Amino acid sequence: MNPLSGDARRAVFAPLDDGAVRSEAVVRRLASAISLGLLADGERLPSEAELAVSLHVSTMTLREALADLRQRGLVVTRRGQRGGSFVQSSPEAVLGLTRARLQALGTVDLRELGDVRSAVSGTAAQLAAVRSTEREVQRLREILARLGEAASPTEQRRLDSRYYVEVAAASQSVRLTMHEIELHTEVGQIPWAMSDAPERVHLVVAAQHRVVDAIAARDATAARSLTERHLAERTTWLVALRRQLLQSGSETVPAPEDRRVAAR
Amino acid sequence: MTTGAASAWARCGRMVSAVVEEVFDVVGEVRDEVLERQAEAARRGRRLVLADVSSLGGPVQARLQRPGGLATGLGLIVAPGVLADRRLHVEWWQVEQGRPEPRALQVDLNPASAGFYDYSTTEWFEAPRRTGTRHIEGPYVDVHGTGAYVFTLTVPLDADGEFLGVAGADVPVSSWEDRLLDALPAGVDAVVLNAVGRVVLSGSSSWLVGELVPDRLVHDATGEDVSRLGWRMVVLPQR
Repeated sequence: MNPLSGDARRAVFAPLDDGAVRSEAVVRRLASAISLGLLADGERLPSEAELAVSLHVSTMTLREALADLRQRGLVVTRRGQRGGSFVQSSPEAVLGLTRARLQALGTVDLRELGDVRSAVSGTAAQLAAVRSTEREVQRLREILARLGEAASPTEQRRLDSRYYVEVAAASQSVRLTMHEIELHTEVGQIPWAMSDAPERVHLVVAAQHRVVDAIAARDATAARSLTERHLAERTTWLVALRRQLLQSGSETVPAPEDRRVAAR
Repeated sequence: MTTGAASAWARCGRMVSAVVEEVFDVVGEVRDEVLERQAEAARRGRRLVLADVSSLGGPVQARLQRPGGLATGLGLIVAPGVLADRRLHVEWWQVEQGRPEPRALQVDLNPASAGFYDYSTTEWFEAPRRTGTRHIEGPYVDVHGTGAYVFTLTVPLDADGEFLGVAGADVPVSSWEDRLLDALPAGVDAVVLNAVGRVVLSGSSSWLVGELVPDRLVHDATGEDVSRLGWRMVVLPQR
């Protein structure tokens, strides 16, 4: 897989540095990219050597991770001249992984993630309100229109993260944009809270439309507070979903490695 | 405005123009080469093919490596359907700090893919096509291309009325500013605004590059149109 745009896809192969057991961090990163649609079904991954270098892990660790992903049905490896490792988009496998991750994370982790997203996306929206042109506002509206019509959760997630990245770009800040992209490699590791309640997508689109209206009206304060309020609501959805998963018990038991990461 | 101030403004305008023209000159060289290939193909009674434009990669890299050049990205972007054997193509090379060899920009040009780089909808591509003339986009965060904060300067590739795409260059905002900061008159909050009112160069500490200035604040414009780009040099009130 050589073609890589400069956007979110680049972060997929950025060095891993979250201190977790490394092969699991690789698994989560790649599974997150698949769940966000950043890696498409059938796409060829870079070679083992290239991947190990770009993710900053040993070849050994990388092989472990690929074996894990194969076992989960998210990667297939073919031998021969046109061989290599290929992405296999499996909604079930992604759902299993993201749910396990959600259960392994604590409520405080979710709150923290919401807090930092609020800081980054809230500031981005605030700045976009005073720095974006009509053309950029129009682009945000187009993304929201597509999000409203997106057919699959993967497509919804991809457009949702695209929306936040574009707001950050409209704030004229490379650093906020990079933070937003990095945050989404994490966000993709936990479930899309809309999968369990499809009607929520309309709430999401409506909330984001209000933000874009505030940006268009150059109301920086409203753009920020509307963004913060919506992200806080998302955190409550995730916390509720986590509790629900924990209560429903053994249906999706976290993989042992996820427990280990959580215990760290 | 005093004569001294007027001449300081004029000098600033000339310096900004000189830098803009310097970059457009290199872009123009790329354009001329593409048009030569096109003319050559036409003489042979065939359409442009991928090999024609990818053979320009070498000269593009050589231009990028010229000492003192401002561009960190240079190349051409082909309009959809122009090449006989490839629908979309980006022949774009970049230099990065600490890496002597230029690298080709790798973008995803599969329209069915999630990461599809749909360049034909970008303003730096669309504006030269629409207007038939050169364009400067930015400063902007090039989130889908290079990930950097840049200006993108483009010119149309016009082969006797047929739009073949654009030739262009990326200039990082930081090196642009390094070259031009001294050009602005001292002692006033002087800035250069682009056509949409964004600060492209600032000698003010309260108005920074990238900010959008409300029309109502713009006064004391010199009336100078820098390099025919619709850019204005203005003095802004302090905040």
